[in-house]
Amino acid sequence: MQKSNEKKEFHRSKKTKKEMLTQVLMRAPMCVWALLFILAPMVLLAFMSFMTKGPLGIIQYKFTTENYKDMADAVYATVIKQSLVVAGWTTLLTVLLGYPLANFIAKVKSKTSTILTVLLMLPLWVSGLVVLYSFVILLNNSGIINTVLLNLGIIGKPLQMLYNNFAVVAGMLYMFLPFAVLPMYSSIEKLDGGLIEASKDLGAGPVKTFMKVTLPLTSPGIFAAVILTFIPCIGYYMVTDMLGGGTNMMIGNLIYRQFTISRNWPFGAALSMVLALIILLMVFIYTKLGGDLDDLGA
Amino acid sequence: MKIRKMMTVLMATTLVAGCFWGCGSSSKSGDSSSDSKELNICVWDGTFSEDAISKFEKDNDCTVNVTYIDNTDTLISKLVEGSGEYDVCDIEAAYVKTFVDNGLLQKIDHSAIPNEEYVDDSLMKTGAVGDEKMEYTTPDQNAGYTVILYNKETCPMEITSFKDLTNPKLKGQIAMVNSTISLYGAALEALGYKADSKDEKEIKEANDLLTEIKGNVKTFVGESAVSALENGECSVALCWDYATLCADSEENWDKFAVADIDSDYEKFLQYWGITSTSEKTELATKFINYMISPEAVAMHMKDWGGVPMVKEEYIKDLLPEGYYDNPSIAKYEELADKSWMVAVSDDQISIMDTYYTLLMGQ
Repeated sequence: MQKSNEKKEFHRSKKTKKEMLTQVLMRAPMCVWALLFILAPMVLLAFMSFMTKGPLGIIQYKFTTENYKDMADAVYATVIKQSLVVAGWTTLLTVLLGYPLANFIAKVKSKTSTILTVLLMLPLWVSGLVVLYSFVILLNNSGIINTVLLNLGIIGKPLQMLYNNFAVVAGMLYMFLPFAVLPMYSSIEKLDGGLIEASKDLGAGPVKTFMKVTLPLTSPGIFAAVILTFIPCIGYYMVTDMLGGGTNMMIGNLIYRQFTISRNWPFGAALSMVLALIILLMVFIYTKLGGDLDDLGA
Repeated sequence: MKIRKMMTVLMATTLVAGCFWGCGSSSKSGDSSSDSKELNICVWDGTFSEDAISKFEKDNDCTVNVTYIDNTDTLISKLVEGSGEYDVCDIEAAYVKTFVDNGLLQKIDHSAIPNEEYVDDSLMKTGAVGDEKMEYTTPDQNAGYTVILYNKETCPMEITSFKDLTNPKLKGQIAMVNSTISLYGAALEALGYKADSKDEKEIKEANDLLTEIKGNVKTFVGESAVSALENGECSVALCWDYATLCADSEENWDKFAVADIDSDYEKFLQYWGITSTSEKTELATKFINYMISPEAVAMHMKDWGGVPMVKEEYIKDLLPEGYYDNPSIAKYEELADKSWMVAVSDDQISIMDTYYTLLMGQ
C-alpha cells in the first residue's frame, strides 16, 4: 500500500515537473522577446540619458545629469506642456464623442453591432500616413469637399479647412476614436440591464440613472479609454505636422530632432525617459483608481 | 499525448530560436570584400534614376545596394556609429567640411572620372566649403536654391525683401521650409549678418525676425511646398522647390515666380564622396563616373526634373524637346552669383536648434 502511494507520488511529482517545464518553455519566447526588445532598450535608453554628447553626436561615456536639468529650461518645458495640452484635449473629445457611440453599438442588435465595430476598427488597419494624406486631399482648398461645395454654389470661395485647429481636431478624433470606443463598448456591454430597470423602478429619471448607475459602473471602461487615447497621443506629432501645418512643436518632434538634426542622443534619450515616466505615471494613477490592467491589453 | 508534448516543446524551441534570428553578426546581402562586385551606396531619395543605377549594374555585372536617406544627419550617425557600411555617399555641400574634417571620406582620383569634362564649368570651378579643391568630392547634381516663391495671381503684395514676409497682408499665406539652416541663414543674411554666424546675439535677432514671420506662416513643410502652392493653400513659400514646381506642370511657369529680394538666397549642392572605409574604390569611382555622364543625368532629369549638371550641348538631345524652355533653368543660372552657402558646424547647430525649439514652441 505504502509502495503504491509512493509510486503515485513519484508520478505526480514527475507530472508536475513536466507541466512546469512545458509552461516555462511556452513562456520563454515571450520573456526573451520582452527582455531583448523592451527591457534591454529601456535600460540602454536610461543609461544613455546620463551620458554626454560628444562631437558629431558621438556619445561620450561621462556621467552627467545635465540632460535632465536642461529640460527644466522654459524652451523645452513649453514643448512638453504643449504636447500634454494637445493630448489632453484629444482625449477629452474622443471620450466625450466615443461614449455615446459605444453606448449605441452596445445597444443595437448583435449583427449590427459587429458591423459597426468592424467599421470602427477600419482606420486601424490602414497606415496612419495614408489616413493623414487622405485628410489633406479631402480638406485642402482644391480638395473634394471644397470642389463639391463650390460646384453646387453653396460657397463662393474655398473654406479654409487645412492647416488649422479644425483639421488637427478632425484628424486626431479619426485616429484615436477606436482606441476610446472599444474599451467603453466592452464596459457598457457588460452592464447588467436589471440594475437600470431597478433604478427606473425606484423612480430615478434617465439622467439620474445615468449619473448614479450607468456612469459609475462603466467608469473602468472610461478610464481605460482615457489611458489608451492619451498615451499614444502624447508622443504623436504627425497629425499636428501634416494637418496643423507644423507650426507648433510637440515632444515627439523634439525627440526626433535630437536623434537626427541636433545629433544629441543623450538629450533625446532623457526626453524619451521623461515621456515614458509620464506614461507610467498615468498607468499608475489608473490602477490606483481601480482600473484593471487587463482592460489596457496588459 | 507524447507527440502533442513533443510538438509543444518543438514549437516553443522554434519560437525561442526565432527570437534570436538575425541577432548574430550582421552581414549584408553580399560579400563586402574588395573583390566583390557589390556596391553599397547611400543617396537622397528623389534624386537619381533607378534606371541609371540598373544600367550601371548591367554594364558592370555588379549589384548596387541603395539606401535612401532624407537628411544627412542620419548618414553621419550611421557612419560614426559604424552601422552604415557604405562605399559611395551623396553628401550635402553644407556637410562636406564635417565629412572631410572627421576623416569619413577618401581622396578621389579625378583622372578616373573622365565624365567630369561634361559637367557645367560653374560646378567644377570650386568645391564645397571644406573641400574647395575637390580632393574628396565631385558634384553629383546641379545647384538648387532656397527661394521665396509667390503666386503672381494671388499674392497680395510685391515682395522685395525677406523682411516683407512679416507684412500682415501675408497672414496665413506663407508655406515655409522647416530646415534650421535655411531659416536662420536667410534671416541672418536679411539682417546683414553672415549665414554661418555663431554669434548668439545675431542668431537671437534672426530668431526675433522669424518669430514675427511665423505669425504669417500657414504651414511649415519638411520636404516640399509644391502641393501647398498648387492647391492654393498658400500664395507665398520659402522653399527649395522652384525647379520641381516648374517640372510639375507648364502651367506653373507663368503662375509662379521667384521674388527678387535685396539679400542673397541659399544655394545647395550635393556631392559624391567615397567613404574612407570603402575597399571598393575602383568600382565606386566607376559608379560616380557613370552617374555624372550625360546619359545618366538625362535619366535623372526625366525621372525627377531639375536643372541638368551637364553642359547643355552634351545633354540637350537626350532630353525631351523644349526641356530648356523651363524658366527655372535660366533663373538658377541668374541666382548662381547671388547666393550663399555655409558649412554646418556642431556649435552653430547647437545654438540654432535651441532657438528653433523656442520658435516652434511659441
